[in-house]
Order: sequence, then C-alpha cells, then structure tokens
Amino acid sequence: MFAFVRRWRDEVGSTYVLGEVRLALGVLLFWNAWRAARELEQGYFGDVFHWPIVPESFVPSHALYANIVLAQLLLAALVVAGRGARLALFLSAVAGIYLLCCDRMQFHHNRWALFCYAWLLSLSPCDRSLAIGRPKSTTVGPLWAARLAQVQVSIVYLASGGSKLLDPDWRSGLVILERIRLHMAATVSQGGMPARVLDGLSRPEVASGLAKLAIATELGLAVGLWLPHTRVFALWWGVCFHLTIEATSSVEGFTWLTLAIYALFATPDVRARKVFYDASRFRGRLAGRAVSWLDWLARFEVKPWAPDDVRRGRSVVVVRRDGTYATGVRALAMIARCVPSMFVLWAPLALVASFTESGDASAGA
Amino acid sequence: MFDLPPRARVLLAACWVAGQGALVVTAYGRPDHIFGFQMFPEASTIEIHLSRETARGDVPALRGEWGARDPSGQLRHFTWRDRIRDPVLGSLDARIFASYGVDAQLARLQRALDDVADHVPEDGETVRLRADVRVWKNGRSPSTVTLTSHLRRGG
Repeated sequence: MFAFVRRWRDEVGSTYVLGEVRLALGVLLFWNAWRAARELEQGYFGDVFHWPIVPESFVPSHALYANIVLAQLLLAALVVAGRGARLALFLSAVAGIYLLCCDRMQFHHNRWALFCYAWLLSLSPCDRSLAIGRPKSTTVGPLWAARLAQVQVSIVYLASGGSKLLDPDWRSGLVILERIRLHMAATVSQGGMPARVLDGLSRPEVASGLAKLAIATELGLAVGLWLPHTRVFALWWGVCFHLTIEATSSVEGFTWLTLAIYALFATPDVRARKVFYDASRFRGRLAGRAVSWLDWLARFEVKPWAPDDVRRGRSVVVVRRDGTYATGVRALAMIARCVPSMFVLWAPLALVASFTESGDASAGA
Repeated sequence: MFDLPPRARVLLAACWVAGQGALVVTAYGRPDHIFGFQMFPEASTIEIHLSRETARGDVPALRGEWGARDPSGQLRHFTWRDRIRDPVLGSLDARIFASYGVDAQLARLQRALDDVADHVPEDGETVRLRADVRVWKNGRSPSTVTLTSHLRRGG
C-alpha cells in the first residue's frame, strides 16, 4: 500500500499532454465566462430571485460581479496562452466555485466539474508545454496531480452510476423510458427520427436494458479506465457514451470536458511509436501528413522510409512500442487508437484487424 | 507555490478524495443534490399554478400576473417573472421538464414564493402566495403538491 502511494506521489513523466488538457480547459473556462457575460447583459442575478449557499452579504454587488466575470475571461485567456497558467487555473477555480456558492440556481454538474479539474490541473506542471513564449521542448514533470484529476473522473462516474443503481426508477428503466418519450417525441414530430425508432426505444424491456447498460457503463468506467488490459476499451466505450449523451441531451461543455480529461489516461510519453510512410507514393505522403496533423497527443514519430522487405508495397507501416510492426488494417487500427479524432473508429478497426492474418511482423523481419 | 512537497501531495490528495466523497454522500440530504454528480436523476415533469391568498379568498394569478391595490388604494400590476428568471420556475400554467428532479424544483419554488412575497411591498392585498404543482414523477400518474410562501407583513 505504502509502495503504491509512494509510486503515485513520486511518478514523473512527459508533461506534453498536460499542456493540451490545460489548453482545452482554458477554452472551456473562457466559454463559461463568456456565457456568464452574455447572461449579465440580460440582467444581474443578484437583482432577481437567487438562492445563495453563502450568506447574502457575501453575494457580490452588480459591479463587483461584472468585474469577476471580466477577470474570469482574462484568466481563461492566460490559461490558453500558458502564461501564469497555473495561477490563472487556480484563480478561475476559486472564482467559479465562489460564484456557484452565490447562487445555487446556477449550479450545474459540468460547471462544478470544470472548476474541480481546473483546481487539480493547477497543481500539475501543465504550463511546460504549448505555452506562448516557452521553447518547444519535451519536458518531464511530476504527475501526481494529473493522477488525482483522473481519480476525480472515477469519482464522477461512481457518484453518477451509484445514484442510478440506488434508484429503483432508474434500475427498472422508468427514468430512461420517460426521457425517451419526452425528448425523442419532439425529434420524431420534427422529422428528425423515424417513428418506429421511437416505438422501439419506448418499449419497457428496451428501456430497462438501456438503463442497466448506462449504469454498468458508468460504474465500469470508474474502474476500467485504471486497468492496463481494459483501459483503451474503456476509453473508447466512454468516448462513445459521452458522444451519445452529447447528441441526445443538453449538457453544456461536459462532453468536451470529460473527453479532454480522458487525455490524461494516455501513457505519459511522446513519440514512443513510429509511423513510416512511403514518400514515393501519393497515399503514403497523404497518410504521413494526416498523421502528423492529427497526432495531437504526440504518440508517433512520423518519418518517410526507404522500403525494405517488410515495407515494400506498403504506404504506411507502424512500429509499436515493443518494436513489432503493423501494416494494412492493423496499422490503421493502431493509428486510430492513438489519434484522438479517429479514436471512435479504433474498436471496429481493431475488430476487423483481429480477423486478418496478415498485418503483423516482428521487428527483425 | 503550486509545486507541493511529497508529504503535502499525499495530504492534499487525501483531503480532496475525502471532501469529494463527503459531498457526494451528503448530496442525498440536499433537495437539489448539488455537488453530488447525480446526472439525469429523473425524467419528471411539473405544472405550476400560482394563486394568491387574500382576505377575500384565493385568487388565481394566471400566467403569474395579478393586480392588487397598494396601501393607498391605488391599483397596481405585478408579475411573477419580474423576480423569477429561471426557465423552469418562470414557466407557469404549462407542463415543463423538472430539471434535477421534482425535489429540486419544489425546494427552489418554495424559496421563489418567499422571495416574491418579500419583493412586492406595494401589494396591499396578498396575504401570501400559493403554488399548486401537478407532478408527474418519472411519467407516473399526476399528484398535486401545494406550497405557500410565508405570511406577508402588511398583506
């Protein structure tokens, strides 16, 4: 136990992804402050009915609130720029939580989660990469705070999945059935969905199954994201789960916040895999360029090759961490696994690849 | 400032996890379950009907609007939405989705009634405000809940 705590406490690794997560949080903090500024144009919340957690005397005046929102915008810009980013993240979290405590009518889980993650990220060396004015270099730093942010992801899933598990209406599918009826009926009436899809989803046994799947997903993700053998599948399943929620419900920025934090589950190293492409072929050059552009987590070292026995006739060859080669659909699955914008394709591609006999070769081939 | 020494990391992490755990567990005791990460807790709908209790009996306040005389006898016009901007509580006489569940909306409505009752000093007739809420909890048959504001001084 102590060894585990000591390992977590002293772990170091690449801070590259921390910079990207900081950038994403900065954008979401800016969007959140922008929304507050737009709402302020409609009127100050303290002038109408509000429900503070703190004593009323702690609720800011109209002028002070306007200044806090302005400060939140500036702090978010600093977070994005990477200048004074850790202090800006911390102050953004403090200001955001304070304002949530001034009016619980404005409370939303996604806002609370955003400020929690901002606080935790401020404790990590997230300003060492992707920061304006800093040399572009790969740095290494302590990862304990990033791991704590990952624990927060599991806390969110446990709390959400656990509350559903304890609720008989959720377990039986009653909640999901009624949500389908309420929200999808409007979509059907607008022609956005065939009526038979709604009919199918509105069957109690289907809703019951979906409810159990949702509960199992949330509780499963809380654990599965941490286990080496299930981590990639859990991430893929979680991405699909959140994109489905985004398509069917209004959750402000929660989807993008969670997907950004998912990046912390990537192994903290850079360019540990290689993509070789055939520069003499158009397809090879295109693939090399595409991977370079889309490889936001810096998983690959992308290089043109001189074709040898393995590479001959291939546009792209991927060299895995362990030195083995992947070609064809296996290479494509490997790229999808590591490239965020293609990640939803990983599981189907990996499934197809598992049925192919070719596509693997050893490093010595 | 943010680079904590090893011992402080453990202490902070322990406090963080314990704090989050406490917030999640105690959320069941809060009507709106805030800080509890209870996502999509219900699929309930509500329909709020506002009325006023006066010395002459109950008077409906359709769409949240009513007229009443001030202490000097002059007729004045009042609107629920002058104080209530929340999209759920502001939608009177219409069935609407109860975000965060029925308990959350009823707790908010109770405070909204008290707030409005406190902010219409020119209304010399209303003794207290009353809301009759039809509740469809997760699609079940409707039930009715009645909430009243505290008694108004000078009403």
